Amino acid sequence: MHGKFDDLGRFADPSLLILTSLADGPRHGYAIMADVAAFSGVSMEPGTLYGALSRLERRGWVRPLAAEERRRPYEITAAGQEILAEQVTTMQQIVQVARLRTAMAWGA
Amino acid sequence: MRTGQAGRLSRALVGCHPRRWRERYREEMLDVLDQHQASARTVLNLAVSVLSTHVDPAYRTEALSLPRLRRAALISVVIAAPLALILGPVGYGIWQDDHWHPAADEGLVSAAFSAHAAILVTAFGVTLDGMDMVWDVTDLSRPRRLSQFEGGQPTTLSPDGRIVATVDFSHPVLWNVADPRHPARIATLPADAGGLRGQEFSPDGQILATAYYDQVLLWDVTSPARPRLLRTLDAPATSPPGSAGLPFSAQDIAFSPDGSILASATGTDQVTLWNVADPARAYRIADIDDPGAFAQGFAFSPSGNLLSVLYSGGTVLVYSLADPARPARTATVTGLLVRAKFPDGQSQPDEVLCATCIWTGEAVAFSPDGHTLTVIVNRTEMSANSGRDTIFDWPVTGSGTLGTATVTARDAADSQPFIAPSDRTVLGSPSNYHWRTWPLP
Repeated sequence: MHGKFDDLGRFADPSLLILTSLADGPRHGYAIMADVAAFSGVSMEPGTLYGALSRLERRGWVRPLAAEERRRPYEITAAGQEILAEQVTTMQQIVQVARLRTAMAWGA
Repeated sequence: MRTGQAGRLSRALVGCHPRRWRERYREEMLDVLDQHQASARTVLNLAVSVLSTHVDPAYRTEALSLPRLRRAALISVVIAAPLALILGPVGYGIWQDDHWHPAADEGLVSAAFSAHAAILVTAFGVTLDGMDMVWDVTDLSRPRRLSQFEGGQPTTLSPDGRIVATVDFSHPVLWNVADPRHPARIATLPADAGGLRGQEFSPDGQILATAYYDQVLLWDVTSPARPRLLRTLDAPATSPPGSAGLPFSAQDIAFSPDGSILASATGTDQVTLWNVADPARAYRIADIDDPGAFAQGFAFSPSGNLLSVLYSGGTVLVYSLADPARPARTATVTGLLVRAKFPDGQSQPDEVLCATCIWTGEAVAFSPDGHTLTVIVNRTEMSANSGRDTIFDWPVTGSGTLGTATVTARDAADSQPFIAPSDRTVLGSPSNYHWRTWPLP
């Protein structure tokens, strides 16, 4: 596989939040920030948002749609959905192990 | 810092980004700032963005205009300098994070071969945001680097090796590499909201076809600095844009060897054949029936009488084009996923285990004599966090049926494999300076 998610460095976490936000349909910049804040509590700043969006766009994981005046919506691509599913699976595995081990540690 | 001041400073900082960044994102960022409650954190965040984009290889080529640079430097330094003392150790940690996996960063991700010239243009993972490299591949096992330039993702080279078409921020861009040591940007074609799917030069090098989400454009590039739009072909989009097609792939569009037929993938899965013998009057001649999967690559046989289409999910179809208006399927191969090798070298017949697999069709090509069809697939098992490219070779009969497959497997090197068109070689590169080649039968 190529184009690994880890290559995004410090933009990996914001990118995961952006891909999650776009998973159910296209959104423009501010709508992504508002959505991310709503579902994760993370208040993303514009510099981080566009730093991550430009990297996702160049990797072919999101693509820009036609601008509506100054607002340009972005949509997730099939490759973006694939990489998001991969990340989610990894996170699910971590959650599973963490649950198991904390349960064991607490003697549950 | 008061909200008003923070807002004004934030807007000023947006204007301090590099030119290419501003052209692409300025209006959107200002729109976001109109709605966002700016704070000192916003200002600091944008100052970091200004500094990091100016040192980003994708943007730093431009000559910075002095007044703008001064303003950017002044605002950034005034805001960032006191904080740098406090945040220095944190920044160093971030820098380390960015450079933590050099091996995984550096693999070959994109390559454009020329049909007749010993020139190769590549982009690597570590420079996905910037640098392309031009290579002399007279000896393919020992590419010699001639130059580098910042031009996006290279996708196709003109048959004479003089023009390379790249994709930069969704725009098709033409570069003159006639003097391969001094590449020069010569033209930028319009982007399309639906996304670019692929681009390819005609065999005579006079036409560039660009496939977008729901249309294919034919450009006269006999004067590459002034591409002239010859024809817009509307392609049926079989599903709405929201369902998202595959990202850009150099193999999503292909000319037949005599240049009379163009095969394109548009929408999410629509494969169409076009008669482009007279490009200005090109027209649709047939749609290829849809096996319910993404088309990931095409290959015409050298005589042009066969077309092979590689689909996601592990399906390869071969069509006879004896009557191009009625493509007749001559071979159907399914289940490549199950037959592809796992990292331990064993086939994994239990389909259930593939719930944790990621499958990618990497490349499809006929041999120059037309007697062999080669397909490369990558199958990664996520729990093992390791992939393996598997190479399938089939003997091809004149009528387009396939014989028994030969299966070759090798370790994936975190690198996209490419089939060199003229000699039967698979090329991959796990890092900027290490090349691997594998001869094909």
